[in-house]
Amino acid sequence: MASEQDVIARVQHLTVTRLRVWVAQGLIKPADEDAPSFSEADIARAALISNLEDELGFAEEDVPVLLNLIDQIHGLRSELRGLLEALDDLPADVRTTVRMRIERRRRG
Amino acid sequence: MAEDLYSVLGVAKTASAGDVTKAYRKLAKKLHPDLNPGDKAAEEKFKQVAQAYSILNDPDKRGQYDRGDIDASGQERPQERYYREYAGGPQGARYHSTAGYEDIGAFSDLFGDVFSGGAGMRGARGGGGRFAMRGQDAQYRLDISFLDAVNGTKQRITLPDGGTLDVTIPPGVSEGQVLRLKGKGMPGGGEGPPGDALVEIAVKLHPVFNRDGNDIVVEVPIGVDEAVLGGKIEVPTITGRVAVTVPPGSNTGQTLRLKGRGVKSKTGAGDQLVRLSVMLPETIDDDLKSFAEDWRKTHAYDPRRKLKEQA
Repeated sequence: MASEQDVIARVQHLTVTRLRVWVAQGLIKPADEDAPSFSEADIARAALISNLEDELGFAEEDVPVLLNLIDQIHGLRSELRGLLEALDDLPADVRTTVRMRIERRRRG
Repeated sequence: MAEDLYSVLGVAKTASAGDVTKAYRKLAKKLHPDLNPGDKAAEEKFKQVAQAYSILNDPDKRGQYDRGDIDASGQERPQERYYREYAGGPQGARYHSTAGYEDIGAFSDLFGDVFSGGAGMRGARGGGGRFAMRGQDAQYRLDISFLDAVNGTKQRITLPDGGTLDVTIPPGVSEGQVLRLKGKGMPGGGEGPPGDALVEIAVKLHPVFNRDGNDIVVEVPIGVDEAVLGGKIEVPTITGRVAVTVPPGSNTGQTLRLKGRGVKSKTGAGDQLVRLSVMLPETIDDDLKSFAEDWRKTHAYDPRRKLKEQA
């Protein structure tokens, strides 16, 4: 786990103030609020926010919207993966049935 | 990477620094790996765009590139680790949002359980182990008629608790076969899915039809005259009566095959086998008796010749 200083050292253009704003906004959720410690995912997330604002030029107020959408996508992807893995455990004929039903739905 | 850096960004060689940044941002917003998780093509394109921008955005390097001092590859940027690489793992799980698709749950109990349950549990436990127990399977037995088993049907079972269970019986179901109705068993615990309903099929015997795999076997009596002279007879099948031609000289034990008149199940379509059986009239009248007496005098034959040879 990394401290505030570690995160700032590893993410370009990052300051303590910016990082604390993101934590206060709930964009980044360190493990312990009082003596925050950051996981690799938190650091990558800080780098992403920094990247969205500085390099890609998104407006500061748009970034939470983007993160919300990204989080929804990962939530969906994770549930979808879980569903697919659960399907994988089923007998082959059941999987075929499911696949056929999905295809039928797609055709309308 | 031999491609021209200006064309990668879609700008002219004379483009201002501001135009280069503008072009880069436009492409990067479209192609950024964290905005396109799982899209390999976008990632490759993004790398080229980022590479081009890293050179063209730097006045010194841009000058070197324009003079031909460095080629398009410049220096490799250190490989960035994108957020998406963590997002799917346990550390990223706490950021997952399920707020956007609670409406999907209304369409399906399965999705409702998995999704809405998942969000709450995760929040409470910070991505730790989730409570999920699959419901128990419920077992039922269903008696159906021979023809329903052969042709398929829908049946409704009334459950002990007063509820009902609709069972679709596929054509060709056989005695003792178990139909599994996904999710129709006991409810699950926590996020766990419900169990399945297992319906064991019992098929009642039919007075006329017998089954041999997908073939239907029927014993059909024919008269002495029909056996000798042949003719058209009516034969029952599982889908109704059909006319069948009995060839002249047909005997007991001979079988006529009616193609495609058997069970049409998942494993294929069977035939109906008509097993002929020569039947004397119930009362032997004088005419038949005297005919047999006369016929025997001149046409005696031994129907047990084969039997004697074999035993």
